[in-house]
Amino acid sequence: MVNENLVDNIVSEPYKYGFVTEIESEKISKGINEDIVRLISSKKNEPDYLLNFRLNAFKKWKELEEPNWADLGYEKIDYQDIIYYSAPKQKDKIKSLDEVDPKLLETFDKLGIPLTEQKRLTNVAVDAVFDSVSIATTFKEQLAEHGVIFCSISEAIKDHSDLIEKYLGSVIPASDNYFAALNSAVFSDGSFVYIPKNVTCPMDLSSYFRINSGDSGQFERTLIIAEEGSSVSYLEGCTAPMFDTNTLHAAVVELIALDDASIKYSTVQNWYAGNEKGVGGIFNFVTKRGKCIGKRSKISWSQVETGSAITWKYPSCILIGEESIGEFYSVALTNNLQQADTGTKMIHIGPKTKSTIVSKGISAGHSSNSYRGLVKIGSQAKGARNYSQCDSMLIGDKAAANTFPYIQSQQPNSEVEHEASTCRISEDQLFYLQSRGIEFEEAVSMMVSGFCRDVFNQLPMEFAAEADKLLSLKLEGSVG
Amino acid sequence: MNIIERITKGDENISDNKSNLQKITLEKLRANPIPNSKNEIWRQTNKSKFSRFLNYKFSNDFYYPQIPGHSKIENICRIFIGENKKVNLKERNWEIKELDEKEILKFLQQKIFKSDDTKNWSNLLNHFLTDKKNIVGLNISGKEIPHLEIICNSINNFFNSKTLIIKIEEGTSANISQINIGDKNSALSISSYINIGEESVVNHGIISYGKNSSHIISTLNVSQHKHSEYNLGSLQFEYDFGRLEININQVEGNAKTNIKGIQITKNNEQISTYANIAFNGPNGFLDQLNKSLANDRSHSVFEGLIIVPQIAQRTDASQLSRNLLLSNYAKIDTKPQLEIVADDVKCMHGATISQLNEDEVFYMRSRGLTLEQASQLQLRSYYQEIISFLPISKERWDLLALLLKDK
Amino acid sequence: MESKKEIKQTLLEISNLFASTENLTILKGVNIKINSGEIHAIMGRNGCGKSTLSKIIAGHPSYEITSGKIELCGNDIEPLEPEERAQSGIFLGFQYPIEIPGVSNLEFLRVATNARRKFLKKEELDTFEFEDFVKEKLDIVKMDSAFLSRSINQGFSGGEKKRNEILQMALLEPKIAILDETDSGLDIDALRIVASGIKKIANENSGIILITHYQRLLDEIKPDFVHVMADGKIIKTGDSNLALELEKNGYDWTDEFINKN
Repeated sequence: MVNENLVDNIVSEPYKYGFVTEIESEKISKGINEDIVRLISSKKNEPDYLLNFRLNAFKKWKELEEPNWADLGYEKIDYQDIIYYSAPKQKDKIKSLDEVDPKLLETFDKLGIPLTEQKRLTNVAVDAVFDSVSIATTFKEQLAEHGVIFCSISEAIKDHSDLIEKYLGSVIPASDNYFAALNSAVFSDGSFVYIPKNVTCPMDLSSYFRINSGDSGQFERTLIIAEEGSSVSYLEGCTAPMFDTNTLHAAVVELIALDDASIKYSTVQNWYAGNEKGVGGIFNFVTKRGKCIGKRSKISWSQVETGSAITWKYPSCILIGEESIGEFYSVALTNNLQQADTGTKMIHIGPKTKSTIVSKGISAGHSSNSYRGLVKIGSQAKGARNYSQCDSMLIGDKAAANTFPYIQSQQPNSEVEHEASTCRISEDQLFYLQSRGIEFEEAVSMMVSGFCRDVFNQLPMEFAAEADKLLSLKLEGSVG
Repeated sequence: MNIIERITKGDENISDNKSNLQKITLEKLRANPIPNSKNEIWRQTNKSKFSRFLNYKFSNDFYYPQIPGHSKIENICRIFIGENKKVNLKERNWEIKELDEKEILKFLQQKIFKSDDTKNWSNLLNHFLTDKKNIVGLNISGKEIPHLEIICNSINNFFNSKTLIIKIEEGTSANISQINIGDKNSALSISSYINIGEESVVNHGIISYGKNSSHIISTLNVSQHKHSEYNLGSLQFEYDFGRLEININQVEGNAKTNIKGIQITKNNEQISTYANIAFNGPNGFLDQLNKSLANDRSHSVFEGLIIVPQIAQRTDASQLSRNLLLSNYAKIDTKPQLEIVADDVKCMHGATISQLNEDEVFYMRSRGLTLEQASQLQLRSYYQEIISFLPISKERWDLLALLLKDK
Repeated sequence: MESKKEIKQTLLEISNLFASTENLTILKGVNIKINSGEIHAIMGRNGCGKSTLSKIIAGHPSYEITSGKIELCGNDIEPLEPEERAQSGIFLGFQYPIEIPGVSNLEFLRVATNARRKFLKKEELDTFEFEDFVKEKLDIVKMDSAFLSRSINQGFSGGEKKRNEILQMALLEPKIAILDETDSGLDIDALRIVASGIKKIANENSGIILITHYQRLLDEIKPDFVHVMADGKIIKTGDSNLALELEKNGYDWTDEFINKN
């Protein structure tokens, strides 16, 4: 029998990454208006086309209404009470890591992402983003030997403006939705990746996003372009300190895959989720979309969403190229008063396009976890296939799990299959494990990671282990 | 006067004849004369078809319909809504009697009072339009009750509105078939309420069979009490615009619901089914299967929602949407949804959209069946699963023949 | 009474057949000739093209004949639809008979049988006549009549599916039956039932092709000819002793053969 008291006895593991780095930062005044947009652009010495891009986006944003259709409840955000630009104070031009404020390096050390040459991870190139700016990008030179461009988007705007002008906003136009428009107007930094023709990126690339300041929003922007026959695996990690106010995070990620190219994009999102009473935490309103333009191209999203007070996120694929493939593998875990509304859109436009959706939602405490998906088979998508599987696991009797799949087909020569189920951890299963000498908590986490295995299998090695650990930490004591 | 004019302009001069229920619903309708197309349950609705539905002249007359696909009469109790005949049947084991007018109005007012107006437009419209002549209310009790057949039809060139209320007493078992017949160029609004008492079993079949350019909005509102069992088979076809709204409420849980429905669209038709199943107590059971088959340039819609609140522990619910898309120009939308806040539940839903299985067709062709024969066999089995679930004897209604004939 | 003639009729003749699927050439020049009354075995490793050959003969739409000919009793069958091939007497016993939920086995068997009978200009059978007819045939494969009321192959065990295939062969009385790995997945008792069924159906006027890579079916049904297939071609033909040789020596030598050529 599952012991009710365990819920109260073992309080969830304190949020490990909740510390604040004491560092002087340069902030602009609160609020948003056209001048602020111009100010951000000028701080970054941006060319005119980008300023115009921002100003147009800002105009669109003012016309759009904040969405309320997602199954989320939260207090209205005061967009004039947010700081749209915050950067740690440092020298104007940093030539090497030695010039980076040691406090910043220490911060990333503490987060397990050492940046200095002696300590840095050997198999992954990292772009570290602190509040509004990118601090450092490792292995840049080594990657450049292969023609791979990996840098902050601010640098790319300066050094690779042809690519930026061509592709920025080409997958997610500024008018796409409220938060994408806001991001397009005020985005501060983020990562840029370009993989040239027929190059397999020699190592995994990763961005690490850290929100440090309590009153500033984070609006990063990522753009990945994979040319014909190239491939890349990209990882994204996120943490934030514990504040008792809510912080807005509205990122935009655009992926572009040309003929035979493949992009694998993995996220482990562990933003601060607020305390057990629901105070504080990140509002995570993210727009992520990939466009499979090329024939036989492939975009694969995998995500482990454990943090944030509210998550609103639908990494999607637009499958244009013949035989292109879209994948979405997701684990979303909510505890306490967290709310997650996540899922994907697979838009099949080209013939013989294929998509796979595997979504695993785990809800504990008073949290609510929704899957919202759209599979659309257009009239030209002859021979298109989709398979979706959405499973929910409920832990405790106060958590909610919702599934809203939406399927539309206009092409008879296509197949769409959606399956969903809801389960709890059965007492018989727990008993069986316990009777073999496995501790209760261990048994629960075994069951949960078993439940998530299909998704974990999709994650790069380092991430899979981290994700597994993260889940068991988050779940501690939540079984009742 | 078309329907919208009746709502917005009102017919003050005859308002004295109107029941309190009609007055209340009119007021509610004036706030929202037509449903909001942003509302999820109306988003897919074809606007021009819907406005055609509303554009017929209203009539409360009654004519006997021609009944398709039907042969001899056996031990059966048949009622035409609008015929205005008294029903009072009593045998040793059972009784079917009419509910009195006051009881009916009180019952409907309560239902209107409790429901969310934005989701209840179809019923509000029905109750505003239906006069007492076109309401049938029955109280059924006992065992070995003869098959009850209720026929509800629209008249050529008119809009008809009818209401059916059936109260099933405790420990009763009943077979009810409801045949909605659409004449060509006509519209029908029919709202049915079935209240099932404890330990009762109801087998219900709804067949909505139109002719070209028939329009229908049919709602079914079922309340199930403890240990009751409700089996619904539904079939919708030949409607230019067809819409079935199913609302099932297991008021105390502990009940069983089985639903099997099919909708078939051809030409330029649009047929939709909306199913909302709520479990308001523990140990509820649901097994729902909705099939659709879309041909030509037609559009088929299914939207299901299963709601399992915290009180509904040990609910076991499954909802499947199986769809066949047979033409390059047809379109299918399906959305089976779950909302769950109880942990000890078993809920499953699924949806597929495909064409007839090619490997199956090849297997049958390799045994000498023609493509046509193989597809017919597949369609037959596709239909049969639903038809065999309808509480209607094959001798009386050869529905399969009716469905396959115009292939 | 007509006197029995010893003259054999050529039923199936495949000449220099090349075939491909999704731009991949699988058959690279197959030649084979089957006369009435003969039993042939085609053996070879997985992927050598045996199953493809059987599907092409039956007219599977995924494969394309790029050159060569298949003739049934002297007529080119390439233009024929799968059902026309079946009606004219080609039978394929599938390695993995598909399950078709919801479609009644009895109804299916009746429609198929009548399609073949119509082709043979025999009288078609109504439901009652067919039930009697099928019950006779059930004995051949020791099947219970309960099988008839189930959906096609649904929930059948491996052995039951294969017996259902042989039952269909008995009902359709084909000129040429190709049995693709009919022995796979059967235990020894089921294998005996299936084999004895095949032997009962075999006759002077029809031919059988057994596709297998094991000797055990051939212990039960002795073939007149054994063909060894590798890399989309028949590389050796012999009598039943060739199968025993394969059993003893394996298929490794076929690789050498391919490499040499």
